[in-house]
Amino acid sequence: MRQLPFHYAFRNLGRSRVRLLASLLGSALVVLLVLAAAGFVRGMQQTLTRPAALHENVIILGTGSEESIERSQINASIEGIVAASIVGIKRRSGVAYASPEIHTLLPVKTEAASDTDRQAVMRGVRDVALLVHPHVEIVDGRFPRAGHDELMVGGLAAIRLGLPEERLAIGQTLCFDDRNWTIVGRFAAPGTVMDAEVWLPLTDLQIATKRPGTISCVVVSLEPADRGGRFVSIDAFTKARLDLEVTAIREQEYYASIAAFLAQIRWMIMITAVLIALGGLLGGLNTMYAAFAARVREVGMLQALGYTRRAIVINLSEESVFAAACGALIGCAVGLLLLDGLAVKFSMGAFALRMDAPVVFAGLVGGLTVGLVGAIPPAVRCLRLPIAEALKSH
Amino acid sequence: MAMIECRELTREYHKADQVIRPLDGLNLDVPRGDFLALMGPSGSGKTTLLNLIAGIDSPTRGSLTVEGSDLAQMSRNGLAAWRSTHVGYVFQLYNLVPVLTAYENVELPMLLQKISRRQRHERVSLALERAGIADRADHYPRQLSGGQEQRVAIARAIVTDPPILVADEPTGDLDKASAHTAMTLLQQLNQDLGKTIIMVTHDPQTTEYAKHTLHLDKGQLVEAGVEREEVPA
Repeated sequence: MRQLPFHYAFRNLGRSRVRLLASLLGSALVVLLVLAAAGFVRGMQQTLTRPAALHENVIILGTGSEESIERSQINASIEGIVAASIVGIKRRSGVAYASPEIHTLLPVKTEAASDTDRQAVMRGVRDVALLVHPHVEIVDGRFPRAGHDELMVGGLAAIRLGLPEERLAIGQTLCFDDRNWTIVGRFAAPGTVMDAEVWLPLTDLQIATKRPGTISCVVVSLEPADRGGRFVSIDAFTKARLDLEVTAIREQEYYASIAAFLAQIRWMIMITAVLIALGGLLGGLNTMYAAFAARVREVGMLQALGYTRRAIVINLSEESVFAAACGALIGCAVGLLLLDGLAVKFSMGAFALRMDAPVVFAGLVGGLTVGLVGAIPPAVRCLRLPIAEALKSH
Repeated sequence: MAMIECRELTREYHKADQVIRPLDGLNLDVPRGDFLALMGPSGSGKTTLLNLIAGIDSPTRGSLTVEGSDLAQMSRNGLAAWRSTHVGYVFQLYNLVPVLTAYENVELPMLLQKISRRQRHERVSLALERAGIADRADHYPRQLSGGQEQRVAIARAIVTDPPILVADEPTGDLDKASAHTAMTLLQQLNQDLGKTIIMVTHDPQTTEYAKHTLHLDKGQLVEAGVEREEVPA
C-alpha cells in the first residue's frame, strides 16, 4: 500500500488557522490536565512512601492508634525503656536512634490579634530526630532551643499554612498557646510529609499542648542487618509489655496505610481527569468531523486516483496526530514550567506535584491518543460515501 | 476485440422503497484509441457509465471488461490499484488539492508507482509540458485561472500514462477560450498518444472534438454515434 506524502497532511493543517488553534489548544489542555492529575497522584504517593529511611524506621505508638499518630498518647518514659530494652536499635557514639515525638495539629496565628487560625502540622522533637530522620536537613538557621519559644519550619510549611514564603523567614514569628514563637531555622525534607511541618522542642510542645509526661510515639531506627528480625523483636517486646500499652508498626507501613486510604482520592482525581479528557476528545472529534467533512470531494478524488481508504485514513490521522503532538509538547512545556513542584495542601501537610518522566510520558500519550482517536472516526465517516457520490459533494 | 466491452451493463440504486436504475442493460464496445462523447439529459446514466468504466463504481449486473480485466470481479483495493495504472480522470471542477502546488498535484498519482524519484520528476515534468502548464509548476491552485487548473488536472490524469482517460464535463466550468484549449489538449492526447477518451458533456460544441458521440436516455443508448471525419482546429 502506497501512502500519501506527509507534507500533504502537514500542509492541510494550514487550511484553517482556527481549527489548527483549536486542535493545538485542545491537545495542550488535555495534556496539562493529565499532567496535573498524574503529577498530583505521583506527588502524593511519593510523599507518603518515598524516603529510603522509612524502610528502617519503626514507630512505637499507643495501642489502638495505629491509624493516626495524632491520636496516640503514650508515657514519655517509654522512650528510655525502648532504648534500653530493645536489641537492634541503631546506635552511634553511644546515642540510641530513638526519637520521642509529639505529632499534633495546632491552630496558629500570624499575630496574636489576628482572628484567622491556620492549622499547622506540629512535631515536637529532640535533636535525635535528625538522626532518625536523616532526609531532614537544616538548610538555614539552627535547631530550636527548648524553653526559648523557638521553632523551625519545613520547606512547604508556608503552603500548608497558606502564607507567603517570606512570612516564614528566619526571625518571623508564629503565635500559638498565647505566645509568639520565633522561627530560628528552616529545614528541607523533600518528597516527605515532614517538609510541610513545624518542628519545635518536645518539652515546649508538651507544655503548649498541656500533655506533660506523655508523647505521641517513639520512632526508632534499626540496624541495617536483618531488619526483619529486628522488627520481630520489637514487636515481641511490645506484645510482652502489655503494661506499656504500645504497639510497633514499620514507618513504611504506617504511611502506606495512609496512602491506601488516600487511594480513593487518587481514583476520583484520575476518573475526573479521564472524564474531562473525554470531553476534550469529543471536542476534538467535533473539530475533525467539520474539517474532514469539508474535504469529502477531495478524498473522493484521491480514491479515484488509486489511493486506498486505508492510506487516506492514515494520512488524515497523521494530520490530527501531528497537531495533537505539537499541542502535547506545548502542554508538556507549560506543565513543566507551571506545575512541576507546585505545592498542594492536604490533610497531612503538603506535597509538590511531580512532573517526572512517567508523568510526562502519560501526558504525551494522553495528547497523542486524543489526536489519534479524535481523527479516526471522522476520517472513516469521510470515506463512508461511495467514490462517485463523494465526487459530487460540495 | 474492443478495449472496453459492456454487456447488459446495469447499475441500480435503492432509495427508500424505490429502485433507481441509471443504467439498464447497456451494451457498448469502445475500440482502442477512440474519443467518445457521451451526451444525454440529466439522469440518463452517462456519468454512471463513465464511473463504471473508470472503476470507481461497480455494476449491479452485467459485465464490464476493460483491456481484458473484468472490473465487476475486482475487490475494492484491486480496483484502486487498477485505477492507478489504467485510468486518468478529468473532473469538471478540476479537484486539485489546494495545499499542493501544480507540480505536487500532478505528482500525486505518481506516488502510487514504484519508480525512482528522478523518474517521477521526469514524468511529472513531461506531463506538465504536454499540458502546456510547466511554467506554473510552482503555483498553487488559487494562483491559477480555471483553464490553467484544468490543464493541471489533465496533466495529473496523463502523468501515469494510462491507456484510458475519462472526463466528466471537462469544460463545464470554463469559458469558451479555456474550453477550446482544454479540448484541443484532449484531442492531441487522443491523436498523438493514442489515448482512449470517454467524455461526458452537455455541450454539443464540445462533442465536435470527439470521434464519436453517443446519446443515452434512461440508462440505454438511444442513438448510435456518427464517426467524425473532420474535427475543429
